Amino acid sequence: MKSKLMDIFKRTFELEFVDEFISQKNCEKWDSLNHLNLIVEIEDEFNISLEPNEIGEMIDFSSVLNMISSKVSK
Amino acid sequence: MKYFIIRNTTIENLFGNLNISYSNYDDFINIDKDADIIVWFYLLPIKPSPELLVCEIESYFRNIQLVYNQIHLYKTFYIFTLQDIQRVKYQICDFSVECAVNSFNKQVIEFADLHNNIKVIDFADFTRNYSCDQLIDWKFYFMSKSLINPRMAKSFRHWFNRQIEIIQNARKKCIVLDLDNTLWGGILGEDGYEGVKIGGDYPGSAFLMFQQNLLYLSQSGVILTVCSKNNEKDVLSFWDNNPYLTLNREHFPVYRINWKNKTENIVEIADELNIGLESIVFIDDNPSERELVKQFLPMVEVPEFPEQPYLLPSFFDNLLQKYFMVYNLTEEDRGKTEQYFANSKRKSIQKNFSDIKEYLTSLEICLEIQTANAFNISRFVQMTQKTNQFNLTTRRYNDFDIQGFIDSGHLLYCLSVKDKFGDSGITGGIILKYLNKETVEINSLFLSCRVLGKGIETAFVYSVINKLKKLNINKVLSTYIRTQKNEQVKDFYEKLGFNLLNENQTIKNYSIDIQSNIFSIENYYKITIQ
Repeated sequence: MKSKLMDIFKRTFELEFVDEFISQKNCEKWDSLNHLNLIVEIEDEFNISLEPNEIGEMIDFSSVLNMISSKVSK
Repeated sequence: MKYFIIRNTTIENLFGNLNISYSNYDDFINIDKDADIIVWFYLLPIKPSPELLVCEIESYFRNIQLVYNQIHLYKTFYIFTLQDIQRVKYQICDFSVECAVNSFNKQVIEFADLHNNIKVIDFADFTRNYSCDQLIDWKFYFMSKSLINPRMAKSFRHWFNRQIEIIQNARKKCIVLDLDNTLWGGILGEDGYEGVKIGGDYPGSAFLMFQQNLLYLSQSGVILTVCSKNNEKDVLSFWDNNPYLTLNREHFPVYRINWKNKTENIVEIADELNIGLESIVFIDDNPSERELVKQFLPMVEVPEFPEQPYLLPSFFDNLLQKYFMVYNLTEEDRGKTEQYFANSKRKSIQKNFSDIKEYLTSLEICLEIQTANAFNISRFVQMTQKTNQFNLTTRRYNDFDIQGFIDSGHLLYCLSVKDKFGDSGITGGIILKYLNKETVEINSLFLSCRVLGKGIETAFVYSVINKLKKLNINKVLSTYIRTQKNEQVKDFYEKLGFNLLNENQTIKNYSIDIQSNIFSIENYYKITIQ
């Protein structure tokens, strides 16, 4: 799941390299528009649906990963 | 190209990384002056009441006019049509929103008809492929005001880029068609005239529809040709005798029906039509033939062919969208197949004459040389954009450049050629710029390959020079600028008698004193000059 997610980040933000410390604060590409693109990719890839408040909480790699894990396990 | 999009909602995610800047919402006053292309892209806003919506839509066209008045004539203005994706309707019989949308679209279309630099982008062409639920995801709307679902972004971008290509006229010129199991069902050589399926019940009906679609395409200027492994005699007699064939001998200016390698035949076809291989689309049901062509002629487009004949209509639709869609057809496009027909007939009678002069006389060639005007300017522009081989300087101009030249008093002539086989229409042009009262410079000179090989190029330039003599011009300067494609004209001015002044790797400069020279033209051309 972690590596799948890395790939989504790379693809969406068009970055060569992404690590697990990426966050909205330290990544210029992670703006509000790309955030939506990221959400769309995640929803499609993991077949989940995220609520607006959840989307708002997904601000860095670990919070995104935790959110997906909790959704997928349900 | 830099785009500036005037918009009323969030649409950035649709366009991705293109070089685009965006207006503020509903701000049609502050337009980015650096942009080359201004785009109006409005989505119908979300409003609960039809009355409010109608009122808003009715203001759009006036705002578009305001935008147009602010942008320069040489900038291009794309206007998206409006679509009511989200229906606002409380009574079946209330058509007010539909009517307002339709009337806005009609105004835009009429406006674009009046101005060459406005192009309409039909948004319905995109939205028709999707349902309302696919197009709008309310979650994302509320989070970001992005009305169109971000999931649509990829397909939107793909579609939008294709629209731009179409507007910029990236159209293929010619289709090379196989016959057996491509234009009809079955194999002529094995199943015989009676066994081949064309017209009547399925699958013949599907092949017939395919032929009818291709016929319409040929009438819009795409050249149809045939390359088939068959006995030529059998096919010709089948073409002549089967009344159910929509496409027969008279629709194919060139065909190669033989047992030779198809790549060789395709090269010959391109050569005979005088077009590049990159302008050709090859259609064949046989995967190994397709593979061969892909391998050896990578410039030729080779689409996959459907295995079931009932898939032919959507195959044709893809073909049209991908290779042959145009923004608008010119008169020249419509007459193109006839011209190519006349050309290949010309080639065949050429063989019967021993004396070339006798042959040229028999053609009854008429050259009509006209100054550029409102009726021919669009063709003139098209030729500066598209002519590669017989083009001395390859300078590309748009409508506004050409209008600018005319307005500043330079001399622009276009050449129409016809002979006893047909009218080639406007097939050449020349732009002469005044350097002073007595000296002009040939800024551009180009001829379509269709009319080359009959001395027309010399007759054209000499006629123009003789005209210049009457206008009391003493000296003509000219230039050859080398490109990858115009090697064939590198010595053209020498042949005409111009004196080479200097040259380097890419440029040759010439001059000629015209009053002291005689420019005589062979008497087998009938020439009129305005």
